Amino acid sequence: MRATIEVAGLCKRFGQTMALDGMSFTVEPGQVTGFVGPNGAGKSTTMRVILGLDAADEGTALVGGRPYPGLRDPLRHVGALLDAAALQPSRTGRNHLLWLAHSQGLGARRVDEVIERVGLGSAAGRRAGGFSLGMRQRLGIAAALLGDPPVLLLDEPSNGLDPEGIVWMRGFLRGLAAQGRAVLVSSHLMSELEDTADHLVVVGRGRVVADTSVAGLIAAASTGRVALRTTAPSQAMAALAHAGAVVAATGRDTLTVTGLEGEHVVAVLNRSAVPFSEVSAHRATLEEAYMELTRDAVEFRAAGQEAAR
Amino acid sequence: MRRHLLAEWTKLRTVAGTGWLLLGLVALTVAVSVVAAAAVSCTSAGCAYDPAKISLFGVQVGQAMAAILAVLAISGEYSTGMIRTTLAAMPRRATVLAAKAAVVTGLTLAAGTVAVLASMLVGRRILLENGFTRGPGTPMLSLLEGPMLRAAFGSVLYLALIALLSLGIAAAVRDSATAIGVVLGLLYVLSILPFMIADPDWQKLLWQFSPMNAGLAIQATTHLSTLPLSPWAGLGVLALWAAVALLGGGLSLRLRDA
Amino acid sequence: MNTTTTRRSGFARLLRAEWTKFRTVRGWVLAMAGAALITVLLGLLSASGSHTSCDGACPAVPVGPGGEAVEDKFYFVHRPLNGDGSITVRVTSMTGQKRLPDSTPGSRRVASGVVPWAKAGVMIKESMKQGSTYAAVMVTGAHGVRMQHDFTQDVAGRPGGVSQRSPRWLRLTRSGADLTGYESTDGRQWSQVGTAHLAGLPDAVQIGLFAASPGDLTVTPGDFGGSSAASRFAAATAVFDQVSLRGSAADGAWRPDDVGVTLNPDGSPHHPGGFKESGDTYTVTGVGDIAPLSDGQQIENTLTGVLAGLIVVIVVAVMFITTEYRRGLIRTTLLAGPRRGRTLVAKALAIGAVTFVIGLVAATAAVTLGKAILVANGNYVLPVAPFTEPRVIVGTAVLLGAAAVLALAVGTLFRRSVAAVITAIVLIVVPYILATASVLPAGAAQWLMRLTPAAGFAIQQSIPAYAHVLGNYTPSGGYYPLAPWAGLAVLCGYAALTLGLAVFQLRRRDA
Repeated sequence: MRATIEVAGLCKRFGQTMALDGMSFTVEPGQVTGFVGPNGAGKSTTMRVILGLDAADEGTALVGGRPYPGLRDPLRHVGALLDAAALQPSRTGRNHLLWLAHSQGLGARRVDEVIERVGLGSAAGRRAGGFSLGMRQRLGIAAALLGDPPVLLLDEPSNGLDPEGIVWMRGFLRGLAAQGRAVLVSSHLMSELEDTADHLVVVGRGRVVADTSVAGLIAAASTGRVALRTTAPSQAMAALAHAGAVVAATGRDTLTVTGLEGEHVVAVLNRSAVPFSEVSAHRATLEEAYMELTRDAVEFRAAGQEAAR
Repeated sequence: MRRHLLAEWTKLRTVAGTGWLLLGLVALTVAVSVVAAAAVSCTSAGCAYDPAKISLFGVQVGQAMAAILAVLAISGEYSTGMIRTTLAAMPRRATVLAAKAAVVTGLTLAAGTVAVLASMLVGRRILLENGFTRGPGTPMLSLLEGPMLRAAFGSVLYLALIALLSLGIAAAVRDSATAIGVVLGLLYVLSILPFMIADPDWQKLLWQFSPMNAGLAIQATTHLSTLPLSPWAGLGVLALWAAVALLGGGLSLRLRDA
Repeated sequence: MNTTTTRRSGFARLLRAEWTKFRTVRGWVLAMAGAALITVLLGLLSASGSHTSCDGACPAVPVGPGGEAVEDKFYFVHRPLNGDGSITVRVTSMTGQKRLPDSTPGSRRVASGVVPWAKAGVMIKESMKQGSTYAAVMVTGAHGVRMQHDFTQDVAGRPGGVSQRSPRWLRLTRSGADLTGYESTDGRQWSQVGTAHLAGLPDAVQIGLFAASPGDLTVTPGDFGGSSAASRFAAATAVFDQVSLRGSAADGAWRPDDVGVTLNPDGSPHHPGGFKESGDTYTVTGVGDIAPLSDGQQIENTLTGVLAGLIVVIVVAVMFITTEYRRGLIRTTLLAGPRRGRTLVAKALAIGAVTFVIGLVAATAAVTLGKAILVANGNYVLPVAPFTEPRVIVGTAVLLGAAAVLALAVGTLFRRSVAAVITAIVLIVVPYILATASVLPAGAAQWLMRLTPAAGFAIQQSIPAYAHVLGNYTPSGGYYPLAPWAGLAVLCGYAALTLGLAVFQLRRRDA
């Protein structure tokens, strides 16, 4: 089986709103693919369609070339973490994994393996109802890993994790990708994916806005911008604007200049005798790049459909 | 207390299920009563059936709706975790329960009155059309005669007491499915137990103990002397059950962590 | 591996997963154990609430050839017959008297009249021992000519009564173990009523005239609901003439016998029958009945606790699915088993099987222990055919299992526990209670037990209703309108239908 997710032309309507409007992308093996977009952009719905939980009105979603409901022992092909709170509170963590294992023809030994792997250890013997959010998240990851699947889908896996947990999760996901698995991680926070994802699928209003590598996205967002540090920002702005550049103040003594190369900026400032301490090519943060991309895709649907679903 | 009442009223009013449950209470009670009245056929020698019990027969099914209403009023909050919001806003837990009880009782009384009056009127009409008499030359009691009024008024009270009993149990048990199971078990299983035991003393004791049998004694207008309890004493047994349940529920609400 | 075996093993895995799910929630396991316990305890409570005492030892109840308890009490005017032969008589009158309800307590009122199943005619019987095999052709009070044999078997002949002006001729012939009954209005044109094969009928039997009259039955609604039946003394008198015997019947006089007559403490017969012979006219008066007996404890009386157990089972079965909806766990379940129909069926099978096993244990314990308690308290427990007791026990377990499946399916449809629990209880438990323990008229009660899932309780009825025996055949009397397996089939049908609907909904809906 190929370790891929292929989504093509998904459409889904909830009443008046188009939740998915021609969503198409592919997740390749061996890398972490970030799935980002604002709340209500259709991330969770897409994931549920991929997993056969929701039916799309149009389009196809294939895992390893096959629709999810056609997979035999599906958890051996795909591991998923959707909602870490989806637990029977009076069942122990270990028993939660045990019934899942039994449904895939796996034994108790595999359960103990994944419990060790996510670092749940002795806590697994306690009632899941008493788990903290972070422990539930680890239990959810353990469930996703149970069938040793080549494809993983994780919906907001860092939710509720403490800083230590976030670092752990990042390394963990990179490790899974390094083993050649296809890993799709959704998030509404770009910063969370900055050090994790190799590739990004950015969505807004139910369709893909950008499908690119992280490096490429940042480069695209950075082109033609120069960062300037000066003790006389107003003089600098006047001089540069006169030379035809677009200047924006980004801090008390920092400016971002668009429309002029770095050498030209230095020349203009020198000519006008404006003091400056630093001129450098601006490197956009992933956050900025993302804001740029989704500026018109953001829909403010209070608490969003994501929360309601 | 006024704020508590208003808060609980707003809560119950704005849940979609409440209206449907009250409607269901009226509809089920009337429908089952009508079917029961239509099923009675009489010989020329008179009818062996109690006209009040028959025309209020639907109360035995309609009470389930009152029970759900009451159970959901409290365990609905436990299942969503809203109980913590409620108790944060109104920390006097006994007052919260009292307010809930008042609102649930009020709604049940209102719906119960409609259900009972409609059942009585329609049931009486059907019975009369089928030639119902108490005996040769003895007509059926009119609705305004003492025993009939007592049966009608008492049935409304019965429904309210069932709601209170359910509320108390739900407060003690918390889980909605368990609570409704306990309530219906108490009502229905205890009601049939006396019929399964041959020993007459046991039978009588169990009958007096059963909240549904004892409570529905309020509907009896014939053979009063053979009842193990007088109508009002029977309703008293149910009231005692409701009081004990509310007390238990109130204690559990106060003493246990939310 | 071939596809069918992988499919099956896939289903087995789902089943195992659902079983693991069930057993790892301690509350459910405890509740199910509690359901079994309450079933047994309530059954034993009701068994220990029944006492019977007789002066000295209770009289032995005769048992018919089919193993059922019988009433074999009638007046028999007979003589021995060896080998094949026949008897022919003309019945010219049938009269009787019955006791009316006391209008003033203590004063007896007796009126003339025959009860519907008063019977008189000719009979061939193995021996004078009560319960021995027989066949008889008879006229009855209101059901025309009948041929009956071995207590439970009854075939109708022509309707109508007898009188001086329109007498009935009856004939019963024996050829080996095969007996044939005939009737005629004139003694010349005969028509066959029926035949009976009496296995093991010995060469030497008794042949003769008989009369019997069961008590006059009145059923009144009980004071607290339900119904109660009372039977009052009745007697029937028939006049026979034109008696002719064929075959090697012994010569000499007829021997009159009041079979099974009860004796007063002073030794005199209580309600005796009688026999008068004048010329070739014979007048026979009989009291009692030749029919299966239904007075006594039935084994299902020990299963009264099932209703309480049933409510617990319904609650657990509903929660087995609704907790998954409440927590969103249903998505995980559907990720593990994306073919939703199979997943839900596995879930239904798991809860159904668990309930079945629990029910089997509980019913076995309740019946076994309850029967012992009943017998120890001096009660007579009606004997049943060899397969009836296992049928009642296994059937009760199936009843519980099917109810669990129905509750689970309702839970899947509603996704909310309260609505589902109420619906399941209103479907299964409430109709049963209204039919058996309320003031509802018998007709309405019978329709409830036909149409609703409560029909499944019919599987518990161990003593059948006989068309030729008057009884309180109402749900409150313990008799259901549907045959045991038919009733259970109605419940299973509801369960299957609801499960089908639930699968349809689960497939259609987004999870």
